[in-house]
Amino acid sequence: MSAYAAMTRATYLAYVRDRTSVFFTFAFPLLFLVVFGLLFRGQTVNGGLAYINYIAPGVLAWGIGNAALFGVAFTLMHWRRDDLLRLVWRTPTPLPTVLASRYAVALGTGLVQAVLFTAVALLPVFGLHLAASWPAALPVLLLGVTAFVAVGLVVGGLANTPEAVAAIANCVMVPMAFLSGAFYPVDLMPGWLQAFSRVLPLRWFVDGVTDALAGRGGLLGPATDCLALAVFAGLFTLLAARTFRWSNRT
Amino acid sequence: MSSARSTPDAAGPPAPAVRLDGVSKSYGEVRALDDVSLTVRQGEFFGVLGPNGAGKSTLVEIMVGMRRPDAGTVSVLGGSPWPRDTALLRRIGVQTQSSAFFTRLTAGEHLATVAALYGLDRAAAGRALEQVDLADRARTRVDDLSGGQRQRLALATALIHRPDLIFLDEPTAALDPQARRSLWEVLRSLRGEGRTIVCTTHHLDEAEALCDRVAIVARGALLALDSPGSLVRSLAAPARLLVPADRLSVAQAEGLDGVDRVTVEGGEVVIETRAANRVLVAVGELVGIETVQTRTATLEDAYLRLTGSEQHG
Ligand SMILES: Nc1ncnc2c1ncn2[C@@H]1O[C@H](COP(=O)(O)OP(=O)(O)O)[C@@H](O)[C@H]1O
Ligand SMILES: [Mg+2]
Repeated sequence: MSAYAAMTRATYLAYVRDRTSVFFTFAFPLLFLVVFGLLFRGQTVNGGLAYINYIAPGVLAWGIGNAALFGVAFTLMHWRRDDLLRLVWRTPTPLPTVLASRYAVALGTGLVQAVLFTAVALLPVFGLHLAASWPAALPVLLLGVTAFVAVGLVVGGLANTPEAVAAIANCVMVPMAFLSGAFYPVDLMPGWLQAFSRVLPLRWFVDGVTDALAGRGGLLGPATDCLALAVFAGLFTLLAARTFRWSNRT
Repeated sequence: MSSARSTPDAAGPPAPAVRLDGVSKSYGEVRALDDVSLTVRQGEFFGVLGPNGAGKSTLVEIMVGMRRPDAGTVSVLGGSPWPRDTALLRRIGVQTQSSAFFTRLTAGEHLATVAALYGLDRAAAGRALEQVDLADRARTRVDDLSGGQRQRLALATALIHRPDLIFLDEPTAALDPQARRSLWEVLRSLRGEGRTIVCTTHHLDEAEALCDRVAIVARGALLALDSPGSLVRSLAAPARLLVPADRLSVAQAEGLDGVDRVTVEGGEVVIETRAANRVLVAVGELVGIETVQTRTATLEDAYLRLTGSEQHG
């Protein structure tokens, strides 16, 4: 087995054997989807798109971003705290190979989440309909996961304990979820808040999925969202390179 | 730092496994290592003995290239461990003080992952498990292993790529006596295979039982370096004779020729002497030889004298 395949397997096993993270990855967002979906069933926003066209992409992007950020941050913190990073350092395997395996697991998780959440939203009770442009959601998904993996690397680089990871990641994710329209359509927010939310990566992730699934803004819509997500991914990767540490003992 | 590699010399002695020359390292105000020079020979079991905070881990980390010294030169198997040299790392095995295990994996899965990181196949993992006598635990989660089993797994992790030179940082810390002894057996068999082992410990009995030579380190300084036997002799640590206090008074004991010091500990009169044979005969005449217990000097005495004099010096 190659080092990359072995690390992917090890990371995958560690992930699925952790009941809590599996719950927060799949069941928790689904709960939001069901509650909000039923609450606003059949309603439209400002006479435009159906409410489910906002809430399904919102919960989907938030659930995927959340899982990528928390998962990667916890992994990096554990690898460093348990001295696994220095174990890797002593082997011929380069660090990027190891990080790439974690990235692959995050992408796979995001894809499974996306399929699951979309399938539930397509049930007649929730009434989501896919526009022909739905495949454009795939690059949005890819770049969205990438951006949140990069944020996770920054958080995991800063935090030395599970408590610190949870604290920092929650401080980042909870306000961002509300300000980015994950649970409440951005189009219903005051103008200044709509403008401000553009500095948040989740806003672009939610927008991108909404655009793609609803066919809003043609192809330019998702393309713009992808570009913004790519910029965030790049920025946070640079930041992660600066916060990276091999060991808690400096 | 010199990057020159020693060329093998057919006529001369084999190149040392490790050579440190004037190595110093500080963490801010803390001087963790102070001008340490030493040589580890090929094939020897080399102990680094010292109290907590002495600088043992720092010493090991510098030898394996995980830390860079502030001053001095380090040569390992003829090469420089800093900057990271994967060819050199391939030949050395390291067990760090905090054992590194992959999260939520079994012992077998953990080792298979490490094997893959070294570019080895699964068979290497099985072999390493056999070597530390843990094959029957391959399917047990690392978290469910006992302390001794975890230490042996950590050792297997360090051995998986069959390194020539092995660094172990306090491998028996926090183990019960039985687990320690069983780990000693594994370590002895490694030495028997002709590998070089550098092992830190703060257990004196361990250093005495396992090591060919011991470096005694305290507060970052190398205090002594020799075989355990020579250390004991060169320090001329006194032997101790123990006699039940109701059989011999302190005054009587002090009156004997060759006695250095007399104390009472736990109902026993303890006589320290450098002339053990003569004093033993004299005490035996007073109380009967069968009531006398003798304690010869150990590495512990040598160690306590060295680190003690350091503290008062
Ligand atoms: N990363 C670090 N930062 C600051 N001080 C350190 C660090 N690592 C070790 N020290 C200090 O250096 C000294 C030697 O530590 P160490 O090498 O771990 O000793 P030992 O392994 O013998 O217990 C101690 O005083 C310790 O507190
Ligand atoms: Mg130590």
